Amino acid sequence: MSNEIIDGILEGLRLIFKFDPEVWGIIEVSFRVSLTSTFLAALVALPIGSFIGLRKFKGKKEVTNLINTFMGFPPVVMGLVVYLLLSRNGPLGDLGLLYSTTAMIIAQFLLAVPIIMGTAKAAIESVDPALKETVLSLGANERQLWWELIKNSKKSIIAGFLVAFGQAISEVGAVMIVGGNIRWETRTFTTSIVLETRMGEFGMAIALGIILISIAFIVNYGLTRLQTRVL
Amino acid sequence: MSTRKPLKEVVSEHKLVVVLALIIIVGGSVGTYFVIDYLNAQNPKRITLATTTSTYDSGLLDFLLPKFTDETGIRIKVLSVGTGTAIQYGKDGNCDVILVHSRSREDDFVNASLGVNGVPYGIHRACIMFNDFIIVGHTSNPANLQPGDSILTVMAKLRDAMDAGNMTFYSRGDDSGTHSKEKALWKAIGVDASIRWADQADKYTETGQGMATTLLMTYEDDDAAHEGYTLVDRGTWLSFNDTYTSLNILAESIVGEDLLLNPYGAIPVNPIMHPHVKYIAACRFIGFLTSPYGQALIKSYKKNNAVLFQPDFGTCDFDTSCTTTKDEIAIWTPFQAEFADLTV
Repeated sequence: MSNEIIDGILEGLRLIFKFDPEVWGIIEVSFRVSLTSTFLAALVALPIGSFIGLRKFKGKKEVTNLINTFMGFPPVVMGLVVYLLLSRNGPLGDLGLLYSTTAMIIAQFLLAVPIIMGTAKAAIESVDPALKETVLSLGANERQLWWELIKNSKKSIIAGFLVAFGQAISEVGAVMIVGGNIRWETRTFTTSIVLETRMGEFGMAIALGIILISIAFIVNYGLTRLQTRVL
Repeated sequence: MSTRKPLKEVVSEHKLVVVLALIIIVGGSVGTYFVIDYLNAQNPKRITLATTTSTYDSGLLDFLLPKFTDETGIRIKVLSVGTGTAIQYGKDGNCDVILVHSRSREDDFVNASLGVNGVPYGIHRACIMFNDFIIVGHTSNPANLQPGDSILTVMAKLRDAMDAGNMTFYSRGDDSGTHSKEKALWKAIGVDASIRWADQADKYTETGQGMATTLLMTYEDDDAAHEGYTLVDRGTWLSFNDTYTSLNILAESIVGEDLLLNPYGAIPVNPIMHPHVKYIAACRFIGFLTSPYGQALIKSYKKNNAVLFQPDFGTCDFDTSCTTTKDEIAIWTPFQAEFADLTV
């Protein structure tokens, strides 16, 4: 068995440096799905989350609980939900979007929104109240206050994006269910690793694993450095 | 360092433009792919095939399907899931054609009285190919299976060895075609394995995993007290037998016996039930699989120098349950015509 593993690692390195087109297709799908879903989620969730953090209103506690609950939504169950929505028998079935990257983006978007909303809200709320006082005393209106608070809590907000992206790129259940793991079309790193391992093609699985780890490390490292420079 | 500062300043001065540009790029990407995916769903030259993991993992489809695409321009999306799931996808209309290996469930699929309001889920099944199942285990063979034992003898020996605690049988436990066959074999000697050995995983382990994983677990279980046995299709076995060298074939079909045979059938999803399915393209695909060209291609697919699947369209009378041969030939021959002049 250990011979298998060594062969697998060598095969993996060979596939990486050979620029195998199937591997590059998988890289493209993984990145496109995870980046677009995280970005769109940020677009929607950052304004909403930060405004909720900014204001006091009736029912804020319940809304907070709701967001925090949805942050823990099991990804594979979201896959099931989106599958049921997009299945031909389901409400959005006529669009025929099941087993496409669009379906995968929808699922990951729905998972990312609560995460970014919750972290943005917490980031705004954790800003020193003295800063809030100062800004208001300088005559800022609500929108200017909001912008100042966001600038001040950039680090935590970026951390929120990181968490959402990290979860998206390493998610396997939902994208498998709604994407169908179709060759050349909806295979991501994670679903391919499952398939290749199951087929005993350890070379391919290890190659994808190495690439996935490297990309995750690079992204995380780059963003961490960005955070320290931002301050 | 000196080149970075100006860029940062430029970006922070034009923050709004940068953000808008990002939104346009991302929105454009999502929008474009949404349109592409939506149009693909309508495109009659793109069909979806739901098949089983053991069929897909053998590599046959990655070999066969491009040849169909080359000839017809029809591209096939393959969903590789368990037999039960593939059939459910067909019932839900989430695919255009299914290729599975569970004869009784295939017959149910095309049975009008088991459909909805007298409409069956699929119409016109076709025999495509078959291989067989074998039982593999370790050399010590505590159940003492002998070559030439009939399958009923084999199952009885396994039952006795399991009751005595001498071995573990690894079941797929996942409603797959293999699992159905295993249950049928137990049933043939009057045993319901999941009830008889309920809660006794050291005798009967239901892995809930695919064939490769189940084989691996069997291979790893070489503890002298409870060595592992499992039922595996020959295709998967031939892919792995040089890895799992301590496992051997301990039981296989003997002449005149067809309980261990594993026939594959393809069925298009009924367009009356689901008007959106690409019925004609699905029929052309089945025409390809059943044509002399397609059948020869199937026979030419080998692993470790052994043929994995025997083509059997029009000749599947080995199995007494295959009574529709003449009808199938009549229905599918017209769809084979476009592949008549091709050779392997």
